[in-house]
Amino acid sequence: MTYVIESASLTKRYGDVLAVDDLSFNIEAGTITGFLGPNGAGKSTTLRMLLGLAKPTRGHATLFGKPYDELETPALRVGAVLEATDFHPGRSGRDHLRMLSRAVGLPDSRVDEVLALVELQDAAKRRVKGYSLGMRQRLGLASALLGDPDLLVLDEPANGLDPEGVRWLRDFLRDFASGGRTVLISSHVLAEIAQTVDQVLIISHGRLITESTLDDLTARVGGVVRVQSPNLDQLAEALQREGIVTTRNNDHALLAQGTTRERVGDIALSAGIAIYELVTEGSSLEEVFLDLTSEGVSQ
Amino acid sequence: MNQLRAELLKIRSTRTTIGLLAGLITLALLFTILTCTLSPMSQLFTVQDQTNVLSFGSIAGVFAALAGVMLFTSEYRFGTIRPTSLFNPNRNRLFTSKVTAGVLSGLVFGVIGEGLVFAIGIVIFKIRGVDIVMSGANMTELIVGAIVGTALWGAIGVAIGAIVPNQVGAVIALLAWGFVVENLVFGFLPKIGRFLPVHASDSMMGPIQNKLLPGNAGVVVTVGWALVLAIIGMSLLRRRDVI
Repeated sequence: MTYVIESASLTKRYGDVLAVDDLSFNIEAGTITGFLGPNGAGKSTTLRMLLGLAKPTRGHATLFGKPYDELETPALRVGAVLEATDFHPGRSGRDHLRMLSRAVGLPDSRVDEVLALVELQDAAKRRVKGYSLGMRQRLGLASALLGDPDLLVLDEPANGLDPEGVRWLRDFLRDFASGGRTVLISSHVLAEIAQTVDQVLIISHGRLITESTLDDLTARVGGVVRVQSPNLDQLAEALQREGIVTTRNNDHALLAQGTTRERVGDIALSAGIAIYELVTEGSSLEEVFLDLTSEGVSQ
Repeated sequence: MNQLRAELLKIRSTRTTIGLLAGLITLALLFTILTCTLSPMSQLFTVQDQTNVLSFGSIAGVFAALAGVMLFTSEYRFGTIRPTSLFNPNRNRLFTSKVTAGVLSGLVFGVIGEGLVFAIGIVIFKIRGVDIVMSGANMTELIVGAIVGTALWGAIGVAIGAIVPNQVGAVIALLAWGFVVENLVFGFLPKIGRFLPVHASDSMMGPIQNKLLPGNAGVVVTVGWALVLAIIGMSLLRRRDVI
């Protein structure tokens, strides 16, 4: 199978500091993968090595089967945003995009298209120093989208966004990936991306701790699924018959312990019970994340 | 070619270049008007006197070098080196494009700087009744030398920016070298100092002062400095991680 991203024993050492340690993982096309770890875990260094900005001390990484710098016009296949502040403050947002688009021979009309896509067309001719953090995040995203790429690599894109911005980003990424394209998104806060990603890679101290789907992760360590239904009593009985422990959350919802959304949904369907909401509880996921990364620290 | 177009847009799309051009024009006008008007006639007799006064346009080299330095250091300062490197991961091509952009902007600085100084200087000389003893060949050597020298300083600036990515550090190093170190070395050890880049590029403009290299040798030495610094800059750019 050809993966969109392949990382083989990727290692990066800065002097005495081992920033990334023998990191191997693969990412398939059409997925949104969360790349998680606490600050200083080696996420940004890994992304820089994937994108050819930093040379690995050992190991190698390929995107679409080749090292980034060997792809033909890589910006047309891979869009990346590594920092929300990578702009000259005295340059307009539009000129920032024009200078990048010229480097790969794209017309100015493409610049205007991506500005509209991230809803920045009204601020396009203003200098970036007058942009809010959310606007800078969107301008960064616009630069990544210039080449209409098949893969997006985003480093902490939700940092500093207000809830509306986070929702906009989530919807945007879901829409982007729905056409079979791939997203790798890093964060140090699982809850920030839990509703966006299909699977997670968790690293700590430069090492891979876990690689799994969110639901598997939740189930493995005893996750909690909140489910709303007009027939809570019947649903609780159906779940308990399958060995799932439930507790009443409030008048409208149950908490199902140690299971996944898929399993709860399947049981409800078999029992002919309507469901209004089915959510993996973010807080417990966060606990899972903290447990895993703190285990990584202690290792 | 695409990357060169991107680099030229970078130069045009901030106010830094306009600020540098405004500084050059102000300085060139001020110096030329004051010197050509106030210098005693006895100091404007010889070819060397006149060439020396009219060579002030070569100050454009300082501004071209600063513009060149900014081409790299502002990328590191504001983090745009990351998107720039993602859009053009070929660092040789990136460096070559920046050097070419530095040379082209240096040509513009040179034409404006030396053009202004020469045109205004000659007009003031005529008004004051100074007998212009420079030959056509002297004038051509002065103008072409100043412009080509300034263009080469654009390239040298880019190379210095690649070697010292810290903007403040690179600017201080450039100015300290040009205004202090070289003048000290040339003052005490002219046989060595004339081979240093500022004095070598000065010699391209003709007989502006004694002890300089012959014009042709000045071209070779200045190009040599630009090449050596460019090779060091490119090699560091290739080796350095973009973090």
